[in-house]
Amino acid sequence: MQKHHFLLRRLHSLTGIVPVGVFLIMHLTTNSTIAWGGLNSRAHGDGWIDRSIATFQHEVEFINNMPLLLLIEITLWASIGFHSILGVVYAMSGRPNNADYKYGGNARYTLQRLTGYFGIFFIFYHVATLRWGWDWLPGAAKWSHEHAASTLAHALQGSTEQFTTTGLFVSIFYFIGVSALVFHFANGLWTAAITWGLTISRKAQQRWGFACAGLGAVLMIMAWVSVVGFATLDYEQARGVEEAMKLDSLPIDSGSHTETAAVEQTDIDG
Amino acid sequence: MSDAESHAFDADMRRANRKKAVEGRSVIFKIKRCDGPGKPSRWESFKVPVEQGGNVISSLKWIAANPITTEGTKTTPVVWDSGCLEEVCGACTMVINGRVRQSCSCLIDEYAPLEGDAITLEPMSKFPVIRDLWVDRARLFHNLTRVKAWVPIDGTYNMGAGPKETPEHQQMRYALSECMSCGCCLDACPQFTKVEDEEKWDTSFIGAHAISQARLFNEHGTGKLLKGDRYEELAGAGGVSDCGNAQNCVKVCPKGIPLTESIGAVGRGTTVHAIKQFFQGKE
Amino acid sequence: MADEKRVIVVGGGLAGLAASVRIAEAGVPVDLFSMVPVKRSHSVCAQGGINACNEVARQQGYSEYQHFDETLIGGDFLNDQHPVLEMANWAPKIIDLLDRMGVPFNRSSEGFRDLRLFGGSLFKRTHFAGATTGQQLLYALDEQTRRFASEGKVNMMEFWEFLYPITEGEGEDKRCVGIVAQDMRTMQIRSFRADAVVMATGGCGLVFGKSTNSIICTGGAASRCYQAGAWYGNPEMIQVHPTAIPGADKCRLMSESARGEGGRVWVPRKKGDTRKPTDIPENERYYILEERYPKYGNLVPRDIATREIFDVCVNEGMGINGGNQVYLDLTHKDPEYLTRKLGGILDIYEKFVGDDPRYTPMRIFPAVHYSMGGLWTTYTPGDYQPEQPGTEHKPGNPIPIDAQPGHGLTIGAHNNAMTNITGLYAFGEVNFAYHGATRLGANALLSCIFDGLCNGVSVVNYVREGVDTPASELDQSIFDQAQQAEQAKHDKLMASVNTGKGDQSLNPYQIGQEMGEVMNAASTVVKTGPGLEKCLAKLDELRERFSRVELGDGAMWTNQSLSYARSVGDMLILAEAIAKAGLLREESRGSHYRTDFPERDDERFWKTSVAKFNEETGKSDIEFIEVKAGLVKLRPRNYGKVDSGTNKEKIPPKQVAQANA
Ligand SMILES: Cc1cc2nc3c(=O)[nH]c(=O)nc-3n(C[C@H](O)[C@H](O)[C@H](O)COP(=O)(O)OP(=O)(O)OC[C@H]3O[C@@H](n4cnc5c(N)ncnc54)[C@H](O)[C@@H]3O)c2cc1C
Ligand code: SF4
Ligand code: SF4
Ligand code: FES
Repeated sequence: MQKHHFLLRRLHSLTGIVPVGVFLIMHLTTNSTIAWGGLNSRAHGDGWIDRSIATFQHEVEFINNMPLLLLIEITLWASIGFHSILGVVYAMSGRPNNADYKYGGNARYTLQRLTGYFGIFFIFYHVATLRWGWDWLPGAAKWSHEHAASTLAHALQGSTEQFTTTGLFVSIFYFIGVSALVFHFANGLWTAAITWGLTISRKAQQRWGFACAGLGAVLMIMAWVSVVGFATLDYEQARGVEEAMKLDSLPIDSGSHTETAAVEQTDIDG
Repeated sequence: MSDAESHAFDADMRRANRKKAVEGRSVIFKIKRCDGPGKPSRWESFKVPVEQGGNVISSLKWIAANPITTEGTKTTPVVWDSGCLEEVCGACTMVINGRVRQSCSCLIDEYAPLEGDAITLEPMSKFPVIRDLWVDRARLFHNLTRVKAWVPIDGTYNMGAGPKETPEHQQMRYALSECMSCGCCLDACPQFTKVEDEEKWDTSFIGAHAISQARLFNEHGTGKLLKGDRYEELAGAGGVSDCGNAQNCVKVCPKGIPLTESIGAVGRGTTVHAIKQFFQGKE
Repeated sequence: MADEKRVIVVGGGLAGLAASVRIAEAGVPVDLFSMVPVKRSHSVCAQGGINACNEVARQQGYSEYQHFDETLIGGDFLNDQHPVLEMANWAPKIIDLLDRMGVPFNRSSEGFRDLRLFGGSLFKRTHFAGATTGQQLLYALDEQTRRFASEGKVNMMEFWEFLYPITEGEGEDKRCVGIVAQDMRTMQIRSFRADAVVMATGGCGLVFGKSTNSIICTGGAASRCYQAGAWYGNPEMIQVHPTAIPGADKCRLMSESARGEGGRVWVPRKKGDTRKPTDIPENERYYILEERYPKYGNLVPRDIATREIFDVCVNEGMGINGGNQVYLDLTHKDPEYLTRKLGGILDIYEKFVGDDPRYTPMRIFPAVHYSMGGLWTTYTPGDYQPEQPGTEHKPGNPIPIDAQPGHGLTIGAHNNAMTNITGLYAFGEVNFAYHGATRLGANALLSCIFDGLCNGVSVVNYVREGVDTPASELDQSIFDQAQQAEQAKHDKLMASVNTGKGDQSLNPYQIGQEMGEVMNAASTVVKTGPGLEKCLAKLDELRERFSRVELGDGAMWTNQSLSYARSVGDMLILAEAIAKAGLLREESRGSHYRTDFPERDDERFWKTSVAKFNEETGKSDIEFIEVKAGLVKLRPRNYGKVDSGTNKEKIPPKQVAQANA
C-alpha cells in the first residue's frame, strides 16, 4: 500500500472516470430514453410513450447483445469495487468540519464523501434487486431484459397494478441515489483535474468548474427524467409494447444472424 | 462565491461591525483552557474592557495582569503564543469563534462590537496542546524537512549572483514565499488530522502548507535540483494526492497564498514525474 | 571525532542563523537556542530592505566606500569604524549569496535585482523583497539551517530560554564555557557545555513598553550577559522610528520604504484643521521634511525625521486635530505600483486601522524601534590604516580603498565581535559596534548577516585554535554550580506566587508597564537632565518593588508569567544603564537629543559609553572610552538643513535624487 500509494490514488481517480463515469453517462442516456425515446420516429408503436418504451427496450437489447459483454461487466464490477473500497478508506481519513467552515468547497468535499457512501449502498441495492434477482429485498422486482421498461415500472411503483407505498420509497430512494451518483461524478471530475494537475490557476479551476457543473446538470436532468419516467409509466402499456416487439423480432431471430444493426432496425420498424 | 468575493464579504461585515463598535464597552472572553498534555479542558470567562484598537492579544495581556474570571475567582494567567503582533511571524494562531485565524490581527471591534458581546478562544485543533492556547506545531516544521524546502546551494561563500528571473516569476515566488507557517490552512483542512505519534508523521497528510512550499522551491533555478526528491515524497503516503480538494486552506490562509494553485501545480508535477519514472524504468 | 568542540548560538534571528550556518558548514557542531521557532524570530518583521553597493549605483559614482561613509555620518561618528568598512565591502556579496539562497528580491523588467531609495543616501542602494524583506531573508536562512539540522550538523533547541552564561576564570582570563537554559514547556533548567557562545538575541524594545519590536524583544538575554560581567556599549542610543501606527498593544511600523517609494510627510498648515486630508489643497499642506531639508527631503535619517515630527506635534501643536499624529501620504502614487512595491505594509495598515492607504493618507507617529547600543565587542583591524583619516567622501572622488575583504577587519581573527569575556560573542542587533548614534535604514539586516558570515569564521578559528582545554573536559562542578544558581533564582520567583488577591503594585505586568511608560517619556526622542534623574529614581522604586514581586501562576509547566517576570527584572537593570548613560552624555548626538545640551560636543563625548555592571551596588558604572576611529575624520552632520522651526517662509520642495530615479 505504502509503495504503491501514488499509483492507487491515481487509479482510484481514473476508475471513477473510466470506466465507471463513462458507464454512468451511457446508462443514464439509455434510461432516459424512456422520456425522450419518442423522438425516434422509427421506433415501434404509435404514441410518444410507446415509441419511448420501444426505444428503451431496443437499447437494452442492444446492450445485451454486445460482444464480450461478460468481460465488460467484469471490468465494470471490478472498477466499481476498487473505486468503492479505496474511496471508503480515503474518505475515512478525513474529518469534515462543515459546521465551522461554511464554504462551498468544503460542503462539496463532505458531500463527495457522503454521496460516495450512499452511492455504494444504492448501486448495491440496484444491482442486487434488478440483476441478481434478490427478490427478498424490499421493493425488488424480477428483472427481465425482454421486459425492460415494465420491470422498472414494477420496481419503482411497488407492484404491477398500482403505485404502492413501497413504490414511493423505492422511487425516492432511486431519485436520491441517482442524484448522488451524478453529483459524485461531476464533482469528482472537477477535483480530478486538480489532482492530476490539469487545472492549476484559479481561473482554470473556475472554468473547468463551470464545465463540470454543466455536464452535471445535463446528467442530473437525464437521471431525474428516467426516475420520473419509470415511476409514472403505465405497466400494462409497457408490457404491451414489449410483447409486440418480441413478436416482431422473432422472424429476424430465425433469419440470418449476419445482418447489421441498421438492418435490424429497419425490420423492427417494418 | 469566489474566494475573492468571500474575503470581501467577510471584510465588509467586519468593517460594518467596526463602525457600530461602542466605545468604553466590556466584552466577554470565553477561553478553553487546559493545564497541560493529558489534563482535562475547561472553559473560563473573563470580562475585559476594550481599549481603542484593541485586539485579542491586547485583551489576553489584560487578562494576564488581571486573571479573575467573571465568577470573581482568581485563576492563572492564560498561556498563549505570539510574537510580531503584526501578522508576519505566524505564532499567534488560535481558533476564534470556531474558526482558525491569527489572533494579533483579530480586532475586538470587528468581532464584538457591542457591550457584553462574547468571543471564544480555543487552541488549534490539529496540534497537541502544550498549555491553554499554546500548541506544539513541530510537525508543521517537520513537514518542511519532508519536502526539502530549501535551495541546495554549494555553500555560503561568495560565488556570484543567483539565477536571473523575470519580475512576473519573482512575484509568483514571492506570493508563495510569504507563507509564515502559521498552520491555519492545516487546522481548517478536513483531510489534515491530529497525529500525536511522531512515527506516523511521515505517512500522514502533509497539508497545503508544505505542498505549496515544495512548489516554491521547485520554481527556483537551483531549488529545482531537488524536484525529483520532492515529488517522490509528495507521491507517497500522506502526499499531495491525499488532498480532498475542500479548498478550505485557501479560504483561511491569512497571507492569501494561492494554495489550491500550488496543489494543482504539484499534482501535475507528480503526475509527470511518475510517468517519466515509468518510462525511464527508474526505481 | 577529534574535535568534539561545540558552539552554542543563542538566538535564531538573522544573525544567529547566519552564524549557525557558517559555523556548521565549517564542520563545528552547533546547538542553536531560541525562545521561539527560529522562523518566528523578530527579524521576520523587518520590512524595507537591505543596503549594498550595486552596479547601477556604482556607475553613478557610488561605492562600498561611500556606503561606509554614509553609515558613519548617519551614526554621527559613534560607530567603530573598521567593522563598518568591512561590512560595507561585504554587502554586495551578501546580497549575491541571499539571491542564491532563493530570496525573491524584486526584479527590474529585464530580470535584474530592483533597487529603492532609503534614508541617508542619495543613491538607490537598497535591495528588497516586497515590503517584507526581513521575512524573506529570515526564511532563506531558516531553510538553510533546516537543511543543516536535517543532516545533524545543527541541533535545534527551540523553546529554550537562555538564562545565564557559564564562565570560568576571573578578570582577563574569564572565558565562556557554556550556558544555562530553561525549557519553556517543561520548565527544566539545565547547563550546556560549549567552547564558544554566540549571543544573537536581538534588541530590547520592550524596555520602552510599546515599540515596533516583537514581544520577545526584552533584551533579557543581553542583560544577563551584562550582569555576568560583559560590558554594554552605548546603551543610551535608542532609535525612535519616525513613522509607526500607534496601537493598543504595540506600535506597528510603517517602513521607511514608504518614504523611499515617494511617501510624503505633512500636516495641515492651519492648526486644528478638521477637514479630511484629501480635501485639503496642496498649498495648505505643510510638507515638514521637504521644506526643512530640501536636499534629502523625506529621506533624512530617522532621528532627524523623528525629532521634526515630534517638534511639529509637541512643540508647535500642529499635529492632526492637535494630537500626536502626522500624515504619511502615498495617495499620489499609482495604487497598482504601491501594491507591488509596498503591499505588505499597506496591508498591515489596512488591517489594523481600517483605511486603505492607497486612497487615504496614513496617520503615523514616532515609536521606539531599534537599539544601536548593545554588548560591547572588540576586533582586530584589517590592513587599511591610512596615515590621515579621510574627509567626506563625495560621488566622483577617488575611492581611498577598494572593496576586497580584509581591509576593515582581519578576517578570522579570534576576537572579532567578541565581548570582553573570552569566547562570548555578540552578533546582530545585540552587538553595539556598527550603527553609532543612529542606524541608517536597511543597515541592520546587513549587519546581522555580516556578523554571522564574517565573524562566524572567527568563532570557528577561536574554537579550533584558541581553546586549549575543551569545555567537554572541564570539571562538572562549574556547570552544576551555574545551574544551581539559576535554579535558586527560579525557585525564589516561584516562591513568590500569590494566588490570593495580591498587591497589584507587585504584579510583574504592572511593574513592566510602568517601566515602559517612564522610559518612553524620559529616554527617547527628547531627553533632559532632570527628566532622566526622575526616571532613574522611578526605576529605583520599580526595582525595589520588583524585589518583592508576586507571581500569579505557580504552575511547574509552561509558566509564561514566570518567564516574563524574570525578564522584567533583567529589563530594569538594562533600563538603568540606558537612562544613566543618557544622563551622563551631556551632548546631543544622533538619536540622543538633550534639550539642555543641544549641540554635539566632540571634545568631551566623541566617546563610546561603556556600562559595566557593579555587582556590589547592583547598578551600572558608566565609563566613556575612545571611539575606534582613524579611517574617517569627524565632520558636522546636518543633512543640509535649512532654517527650521516655522513654516512661514515656504521653500519649494525639491525633488530628491532625481538623478538616479
Ligand atoms: C518593524 C521593524 C522593521 C525593521 N525593518 C528593517 C529594515 O527594513 N531593514 C533593516 O536593515 N532592519 C530593519 N529592522 C531591524 C532589524 O529587523 C533587526 O535589527 C534585526 O532583525 C535583528 O536581528 P537579530 O538576528 O539580531 O535578532 P532577532 O531577529 O531579534 O532574533 C533574536 C533571537 O534571539 C532569541 N532570543 C532572545 N532572547 C532569548 C533568550 N533569552 N533565550 C533564547 N533565545 C533568545 C529569539 O528567540 C530570536 O530567535 C526592523 C526592525 C523592526 C522592529
Ligand atoms: S499557507 Fe497560509 S495558512 Fe498555511 S501556513 Fe502558510 S501562511 Fe499559514
Ligand atoms: S484543498 Fe486539500 S489541502 Fe486544502 S483544505 Fe482541502 S483537503 Fe485540505
Ligand atoms: S503575533 Fe505574529 S502573526 Fe500574530
